Order: sequence, then C-alpha cells, then structure tokens
Amino acid sequence: MFKSWLIKSSLNRQFKRSKNAGLKAYFQAQIQLIDLPIKQAPLLALDLEMTGLNPKLDQIISIGLIPVIEGKILLAQAQYKLIKINGSVGQSAAVHGVLDQHLLQAVSIKKALQWLIQQATGKVLAAHHASLDLSFLQQAISQHLNEKCRLSALDSLDIERRRLLRCQSFIKEGELRLGKCRERYNLPLYAAHNALTDALACAELLLAQLAADSGIHKVKVSQLLR
Amino acid sequence: MDASELQPVRDFISSLPPFDRLSEQSLRQCCISLSVVYYSRNEQFVDVDTNERQLYIVRSGAFEVITEQGELIDRISDGQYFGFSGMLSGEKVVNKVRILEDALVYLLPVKIFDQLRAASSQFDRFFNQAFAQRLRHQGAINNKNINTSRISSLISADLISIDSFSTIRQAAELMSEKRVSSLLIIDSNKLSGIITDRDLRSRVLAKGLDSQTLIKQVMTADPVTSHKNALIFEAMLQMSEHSIHHLPIIEDGRPTGMLTSTDIMRSQSSQPLLLIGQIGRQNSQEELIAVSKQIPQLLQNLISSDAQAQEIGRILTSVTDALTRRLIIIIQNEIGEAPMQFCWLAFGSQARQDQAGGSDQDNALLLEYDPDSEALLYFQKLSQAVCTGLDACGYSSCPGDIMATNKKWQLTLKQWENEFSKWINTPQPTALVNVAIFFDMRCIFGCSSLFESLHNKVVNKTKNNDIFLAAMTGNALQQPPPLGFFKDFVLERDGSEVKGIDLKHKGTALINDITRIYALAAGIKEVNTHKRLLLLKESKFINQQDALNLIDAYEFIAHKRLSNQGYQYSRSQPLSNYLLPENLSALARHQLKDAFKAVHEAQAGIKLKFLRQF
Repeated sequence: MFKSWLIKSSLNRQFKRSKNAGLKAYFQAQIQLIDLPIKQAPLLALDLEMTGLNPKLDQIISIGLIPVIEGKILLAQAQYKLIKINGSVGQSAAVHGVLDQHLLQAVSIKKALQWLIQQATGKVLAAHHASLDLSFLQQAISQHLNEKCRLSALDSLDIERRRLLRCQSFIKEGELRLGKCRERYNLPLYAAHNALTDALACAELLLAQLAADSGIHKVKVSQLLR
Repeated sequence: MDASELQPVRDFISSLPPFDRLSEQSLRQCCISLSVVYYSRNEQFVDVDTNERQLYIVRSGAFEVITEQGELIDRISDGQYFGFSGMLSGEKVVNKVRILEDALVYLLPVKIFDQLRAASSQFDRFFNQAFAQRLRHQGAINNKNINTSRISSLISADLISIDSFSTIRQAAELMSEKRVSSLLIIDSNKLSGIITDRDLRSRVLAKGLDSQTLIKQVMTADPVTSHKNALIFEAMLQMSEHSIHHLPIIEDGRPTGMLTSTDIMRSQSSQPLLLIGQIGRQNSQEELIAVSKQIPQLLQNLISSDAQAQEIGRILTSVTDALTRRLIIIIQNEIGEAPMQFCWLAFGSQARQDQAGGSDQDNALLLEYDPDSEALLYFQKLSQAVCTGLDACGYSSCPGDIMATNKKWQLTLKQWENEFSKWINTPQPTALVNVAIFFDMRCIFGCSSLFESLHNKVVNKTKNNDIFLAAMTGNALQQPPPLGFFKDFVLERDGSEVKGIDLKHKGTALINDITRIYALAAGIKEVNTHKRLLLLKESKFINQQDALNLIDAYEFIAHKRLSNQGYQYSRSQPLSNYLLPENLSALARHQLKDAFKAVHEAQAGIKLKFLRQF
C-alpha cells in the first residue's frame, strides 16, 4: 500500500514536471496502472541492444517491443527499430548481428525515443535486467529530449532472483541469465541477441514466472515494479 | 516488422507439417498472427475459450486430452496440435485438456486458420477429419514400376478375333494382314479358344491338314486367361507356369484383348520376373536356395519403388508360391509321383498374399483318401524335404508347428472337414486364437478341386453362424490398437507409454482378424484382406465408408511396416515388425494415429454386430 502510494506520487511529480507532451501522457497513464492486478495489466516487453554497457559512453543500436495483453503475447504487434548512431557499430556488431549497412534503414534516436514513449503509454514496461535498459533510456531521454526522468519496469531477472532466494541461500554466477532462467520453466532455447527475439524471450519468461506463482492473482503492479 | 526478426517462431512453425507446405507468404502471415501463452502445471486444465476459437500449437510442454467421462483421447507434446476439431466441426468443445508439463503454446486464430486452409489444400487435408481422404492422398504411389503395373497398360485397343467355324486359311490371312502372332476365337461374344502361329505350324502344317480345316478343330480350347487389372507380373507368372506365350484378357465374361509375352518383354524386364523365371529353371534344392538369396533384395527394391503394400505382398507371396511349387516338383522328380491326389495348403500370410520380410511357414497337406503306410511314408518324405527347403530359403518353421511335416496336419478331406466342424460348432475361445489362421487358406500345389470342396464346406458352415462368429469376435478384440504417440513413445489406450509398436500384431493382424470375421460371416471365399474388403464393400455387408477406412488403414500400416523393414535392412538390422517412434516423421505419426483410430472403430463395429455389445 505504502509502496503504491510512493510510486504514484513519484509518477504524479514527473507528470507535472514533464514538458514533453509524450512523456507527460506516459506518466499520467502510468498512474492508472499501479493498482491493477498484475494479471490484468497490459505489459510491454522491451529489449535494447547497445554498443556497450556504459550508459554515459555507449549508444542504443536497436529497440524491440512486444505487448502482452491479458496473458497473451501478441506477435502481430511486435515492433523493431534500428537507431542511427555516431561512428561505427564496431566490436559489438559481432554480438548483435547489426551491421553498419543495416543502420541505413535506421531512425534517429530522438524519433525512436518518442516512438517508444508513445508505445509504452498505458502499458507497464518489462525487461530482463531492466535496470540496464532503463538507465540507457533515461540517459538518452535526458540527452535528446532534455528531460530528467525516472522510469520503472517489471524485471524478470529480479523476479527470478527473489524466487530462487526463497529456496536457496545464494545464487551462482550465470544462473540469472535469460537463457538459464528460461530453462527452469521448460521454455525453448532461442538463438539470442536480437532486440526483438530477446524481448519475446523476456515476455515468455515473465508469463512463465507469473503462471508459476500460485498467489499471483493477489499481486498488484506496484509490488513488482522496480 | 521485418519477418526475419522473429526467427525462432518462424523456424519452429516452418518445421511442422503441414505448415512446412505453406507458401512463403502464408507462412509469414501465419507467424505474425500468432499469440503466445504459457500454461503452468499448477493451473491443471487449459481454459479453452469457446467464443474465440484457436489452434493450439505446442512449442514446448505436454498436454492430455480427455473426454467428459475422463477417457484418454490423446497425449500431446512439442510440435503437436489441439483445438482443431472444434474449429472444423464448429461444435461445442466438451473434451478437457489437462496440463501435464509446463508449456509454451502458440495460438493461431480461427480466421487465419481458415484462410490457410483455403490457401493450401495440403494444409486443409492435414487437419480435415475426413481421415480416409487424407490417408488416400498420402504417399506418392508410383505405379510406373513394372512390378506393380497392370496388364491394362499393355493391351492395345483393337481386338483381333475370328469365329471357330472359319477356316485355318482365313485365320492365317487375318494374322498376316494384321501382323499378329495369335487370334482370339470368339463365338457369340464368348471366348472359345485361341490360335497362334505356332499352332498353325505344329497342328496344321506338320500334320498335313487341309487349309480348309475349321479353326475349331485345331484351336486351343478353354485357354488360360487373365483380366485387365491383373498385375503384369501375375500374367508373367501364369505364362511361365503354363509354358504359354499368349493370355486372352476377359472382362465380365467377354474377351477384350490378348496379352503376349512379347508385349511384356518389350515393355520392360524386371527383377521379380527374372527371379520367378530363375526359380522355374532350377533343378536342385541347392540351386533354389542360392536363388532365394535374392529375395531380401527384391523386397528392398519393391519397398524403395514405393509400390503399394498390398501389391508388394502379392509379389513377394508369388515368389514364395513359385519356390514352394518348384521345390515340390524337384522332390517329386527324385521320389516319384504321389500315390494319390493331394493339395499343398498354405495358411496365414502366404494364403492371404501379404507376406513381408521374415515371414514363417504355415502349411499343411490335404489328401484324397486315408494313406496306407507306404503313402504315409511318401508324404512324410515330400513334406520333410519341402519344409526343410523352404526353411533354407529363409522361411523359418512355424512356431505353432502348423506344418505339412506335422502328422496332425496331413489330413484327408473328411478329416479336415471334421477339424473345421469342431472349431466352428463348438468354438473354444482360447483354442480359436490358434486356429484363426486356418480360415485363411489357399491351395499352392496340387488338385484344386479337392481344395475347392473343402473351402466351400468351410465357408458354408461359417456363413451367418452367430455363435462361431461371436467367439471369433471375442478373440479379435483381445488386442486394442495403440492410441497414438507421445514424445518418443507409443501411447496405449490405457494411458501407458511403451517404447515401440509391433505393426503386425497391433496393426495389420487386427485388420486381418476383423476382415476375416466379416468375410466368413458373408460367406466370402476370398482370403486376401484387401480383396475381402473390396468384396465386402460391394456386398453391403459392411458400411461402405468403414470398408474404405479399413482398406486405407491397412494399406498405411502395412506400408509403414514395409518401409520400416527397409530402414532396418539399410542398417543391417534383422527384419522385424517393431517400429520405434523416433524413426517416424511428425506427419507419419498423425497418419498412423488415424489408421489406429480406424482399426479401433472397426473393432467397435464388430463388437456391436457380432457380440451385440457397445
């Protein structure tokens, strides 16, 4: 209850402070979602590919989004955007399979952010290891939209960590990786590292985690938001 | 969205039959229309939304479909489907789907499902419950192969004939005008005989007959004939057995053409024909055994030619028949002619003409009258030599000792009749299991009229014999076919999972049993299961659709049994009827499951008809 109030007042502050119309609408809509049971809340699984791991130095290369509505992942509404970056993709191209020539179809980061905010309006963001993706987004919003904001999301990694710690005292390295987590729920192995595939992988994991929790119908969005 | 982006979904869907048959465009449309759901075992049952119908495609996990009464219908895992029967029939779904393992499922909306069915007939056929239609279309059956080609493909359209009251001079003129080597002799639409240029030579010129002699006096009356749907191979066999080169073709009692050995030679030459020919030319058991070593290779050639299973059975059995006959003749050359008329009888698969690899012997003797000690010795020698010879040729002895060497099965007509009467009039259910194969019998060598009188008596006794048929039915229901497949296991009707399936005892044998009961009830003398079913279908003794379903199921299971033996052979494994599901494609699993279903329904059919039980 207290947490719900805290989140709502933070969202309310950000709603009032935002000058960007898109962000304003986003925060306003978020307030309505906080007290919904998690099973009823529309979700948006998100994954970013970046040139590196430092939000201050590295850039976002691509964004994958897939909505999860009423417990169904809707592939028809899956979306993917490549983003124009400064300089070359360099080393990370090998990881993401994104080559410079693909970037010709890319959009500017500013356009991508506006598109993302619009897509996320009225939905709860979800990602695996969300803090990394969110800090990249916050950094980019600050830099390109000139707005300081604090985003929150469901984090399948965090849900998994807490679940594991309920039955074991420590977590070994690598146990929380997306692929490892999926194995525990009998989810198939995907050749990873494309923003959209990873967003799908995260969405499936989230559904599995929610289904595995027998007390889930009592859980509200606020309890899981990070 | 770029289609390549959801590669894992696309890769999976495009690997599944029938989705693997969809066009690029349909596949894409299908993939982007999917939604993904997850079921945890905690939830126990799938909450099927009856308002918004979907095809459930299992990506990973396992389910069980059960009826309202709790009867197991199917178990489903990765790459399989449920929910389509309701979509096709539009009826309310009453079956329940239990979640066995946590599962990820792709849902395809009914609207897209219907569009895909409309766009691809293969897709539609796969899901269409009209199972007979599906089985009938499967498997490109290649009839171009000589082994299974029919006479009709070789006979020319114009019929060249003359009547028996013409002179031999007129016959000779007609033959040279039409450039043929033989004529059909037809009187009032009926075949009276044939005349060949060899006859003109040996029966006319050599004997110095006048050219005004009537054909009637020199023709071959009542010649051996065939019909246009006979296999070329069978015609060849007739020619080599009777040492003739001309076969009139008869249809509905009327002659329609002539097939000559040259027609066949010209069309092609092939291995089974050569093999049969070779068998006929061997003069010792040792030579025959050497020739028989080619039989496994012949079977493989037939399997890889993708001929129909029932035709492969006929061909393979013809080889066995020829081998048996030749063995008898070779031995008779040594020990002399039999002291009386007799028949060499075959039972079971040889009688039914559905032999596959690894068939064993089921044979017996039918004697004209009670043998004295000398005759007894003769038949003992003969049967011993023939059975040993067959064994050496690869047909192992019958484990139940239904063998011509067994004194118990060297019987006179009267004795055979008594045996059959005993089985028919006072049927003992347990004893019947062992004697069922006696009711599939065929005369391989010897006096066919002797055999005919036995066969007629037997069929007359079984026809409409309720008590006997009920007992046979009880036996035929002992063994249910499997329900289907689950992962790499065979799923039995009681829910148990076993490693593999015996396609003979849990498949074709069940259909043989069912068909035999109907045939005996209807008084049909034919023993080949395929032909029995065709006759039953015509006789209206069995529902037309049921007969077709059984024919298809039989062909499909038998075909799988043969191709499995082909696979075993290619890996130098001993040939068996045992199939491991891991060697089956997803499509073949669906089809086999449908075939089992048809067998199950046919079992329910005889239960109702002959046992009056539901």
